[in-house]
Amino acid sequence: MKKWLRNNLWRHALAISVALFSLFPLYLVVISSFNPTGSLNLTSFIPREISFANYTLLFHDPRIPYLTWMKNSLIIAGAVAVLSVVIGAASAFAFSRLRFKGKVSGLKLLLLVQMFPAILAISAVYVIMERVQTFAPGIGLGSKPGLLLVYLGGAMGVNIWLLKGFVDTIPAELDEAAKVDGASPMQIYWLIFIPLATPVLSVVMLLSFIGTFNEFILARLFLVDMPDRTIAVGLQSFIGGQYAANWGPFAAGSIIASVPIVAIFLSLQKYIVNGLTAGSVKG
Amino acid sequence: MLVSVFRGKFALVLKLIFLAATSAILGLLAQHALAQGEFAIAIFLIFAILSINFVYLTSKSIPLKFFLPGLLFLLAFVVGPILYTLAMSGFQYQTGNILSKPEAIEQLIKTGVAQDPDQTIFDVTIGKNKAGEISILYLNTTTNVYAISTEKTRTIEPASGVKMNDFDVPSSSPNFTALTTDELGSLDASIPKLKFFYDGEYYLGLEGFQAASLYKQAIRYDEAKDQFVDLATGDIYKDNGRGNFANVNNKEQFLGSVGWRAPIWFEHYTKLFTEKRLRAPFISVFLWTISFAGLSVLTTFALGLLLALALNKAIRGRRIYRSILILPYAMPSVMSILIWGGMFDTEFGAINNLLGTHIAWFQNAAFARAAVILVNLWLGFPYFYLVASGALQAIPSELSEAAAIDGASPRQIFNKITLPLLLKILSPLLIASFAYNFNNFNLIYLLTGGGPIAQLDGDIAGGTDILISYTYKIAFNEGNSDLGLASAISVIIFLLVASISLYGLKKSKVLEDFA
Repeated sequence: MKKWLRNNLWRHALAISVALFSLFPLYLVVISSFNPTGSLNLTSFIPREISFANYTLLFHDPRIPYLTWMKNSLIIAGAVAVLSVVIGAASAFAFSRLRFKGKVSGLKLLLLVQMFPAILAISAVYVIMERVQTFAPGIGLGSKPGLLLVYLGGAMGVNIWLLKGFVDTIPAELDEAAKVDGASPMQIYWLIFIPLATPVLSVVMLLSFIGTFNEFILARLFLVDMPDRTIAVGLQSFIGGQYAANWGPFAAGSIIASVPIVAIFLSLQKYIVNGLTAGSVKG
Repeated sequence: MLVSVFRGKFALVLKLIFLAATSAILGLLAQHALAQGEFAIAIFLIFAILSINFVYLTSKSIPLKFFLPGLLFLLAFVVGPILYTLAMSGFQYQTGNILSKPEAIEQLIKTGVAQDPDQTIFDVTIGKNKAGEISILYLNTTTNVYAISTEKTRTIEPASGVKMNDFDVPSSSPNFTALTTDELGSLDASIPKLKFFYDGEYYLGLEGFQAASLYKQAIRYDEAKDQFVDLATGDIYKDNGRGNFANVNNKEQFLGSVGWRAPIWFEHYTKLFTEKRLRAPFISVFLWTISFAGLSVLTTFALGLLLALALNKAIRGRRIYRSILILPYAMPSVMSILIWGGMFDTEFGAINNLLGTHIAWFQNAAFARAAVILVNLWLGFPYFYLVASGALQAIPSELSEAAAIDGASPRQIFNKITLPLLLKILSPLLIASFAYNFNNFNLIYLLTGGGPIAQLDGDIAGGTDILISYTYKIAFNEGNSDLGLASAISVIIFLLVASISLYGLKKSKVLEDFA
């Protein structure tokens, strides 16, 4: 018993205290979402009453286009995830499997470019898209396709890099065998590489989706009108507005928006963790 | 079966249709861009069309067929903006200096007018004369005659034919028909620009729909000498090379409030280090950025590693612990940051409630910084817990077993074997994490907004501002944005982060694996 205490007690103590630290804000959001007074006030750890007022408000108040925000986020993040992986996978394949002149310098350049966070060039992106707006309002500043294009461009560097890391781990024997049999690079790509890489591609797609879903500042600069906003910007406007902070609806909205993300993340954590390290750690 | 999709006529037709459609869309955009005078964008679009058709219609380069789309996106939305940032950093580009020089001159001429000394104002009606030209009908109150003015002419209208409306304003005459309200509505945008002839020196400028005042040009632009002359004082204003026309006798006195983007090369960079007004906030923000990023990596790594060590043994409930511990990482961070912001509220926040204190967390720089680090610890420790757990599994157990046989204590094993190996495996991630936190805009912007700000000299740098949030404030500060300076700081940040990351990568030998 004494030995167990010495060996394991600190482990449980540490894990439990950090677990409480982790859960505290999340617990607070959950009880706030059921609190009809709309504050993030911790008067007691056990809610006095449970009300669904905040949830019904989200779906029934015509001034809060919650479902539209959600739809915007899903469409934009979904499109970025799919398109950036479709485009990025082809590039990653070329960088990983094909031989060509300038490949090493190309990779170094890519490494440099993917280090440049989109936020650094945000004023340039803003000015450029403002100019695009003057001749093509549909894809310029203030339009959803415009934001999509900027996201796609920004996701490209990181995704190609990440995908290349994954692709390197897929054994090359199969496509070499196909090459011997006379298959063209296109055939190898579509018939051998894509089926093999599908699980990997879906993980990067997911990471891309979560990343875009979480993006705040570009979305805020680009999409100003209430019904055009994404969920992150929309929810922020509940508590960042000039009127009093509406924590109740914010909490309810955050819970609905994050439950699917958290669920996906937890169920695929093994793959996601691999993905997080594959970009920079070999092996 | 599947193979046939990639060969044969069907595939070729499909490819041609796709290429034609892409080229048509991009070509149309290029044409619109050209029409607007956006040459750089148009050239890029034409380059895109040519390269797409060349790459997919010939078999010159197979690899390019794979990465051309990605390359074009990178060029358009990453490389392009990087170059643009670099270019902007060399320009005087701020509120008041956002136009091109010809646009600025046009603006100056348009606004460089003066009213007559008596500030005469006439009631007018906007309409059309017999010839169908836009004109105004009014009673000249100084001479007491009715007149119709167009842009070029002024004709006296006999009083007998003029009809007055209910407000005693002349509204129609034999040579003049008033515009209807609808017609006025469609004119609206051009109204401020309309000038009606008066006496050669003065002209009539509209003040809304029902009144006009006497104006004359107060300054004149001399195109040959590229200078303005103030017609009243005779003062000469010359291009000062920094985006404004300045009085030749008083360099500080600019003409009007409009300037243009002028190249000033490296001045933003030198100013950041030589001018105290810019240097002081820049240095303090820079130091805090380094400490913030360093402390963030240190705290998240320490807690993550500790947890990984604690849970590196099959203790009861490990799976549940693990699931709970990674929750902060799984939660969309925008939302959790905002929630933490609410928890630090002075009056109603859970933190003060829990501690029984009444601290104004975000009003005091030290408290605000502590809050920022704590929130980032919450957000970031699961990542290091996860990667450190993975790395611990990867360290071969033979090493520590051998050391144990040789009589090493668990502490010695950890200090001499496990930790050095872990650091070696994780150093690229630690450096990546440093680089990430160096630019952790969302956290600062959404939690404290960079505050608290000591309201001195209109300084905008706050106690928790990191370089990137400071840059954002400079660029998008309402009413006083300085895109040139912001771009210069962006370039500096990029150089810093890139050199830190490249150093780290070199150390971890990732670059050598390319060959």
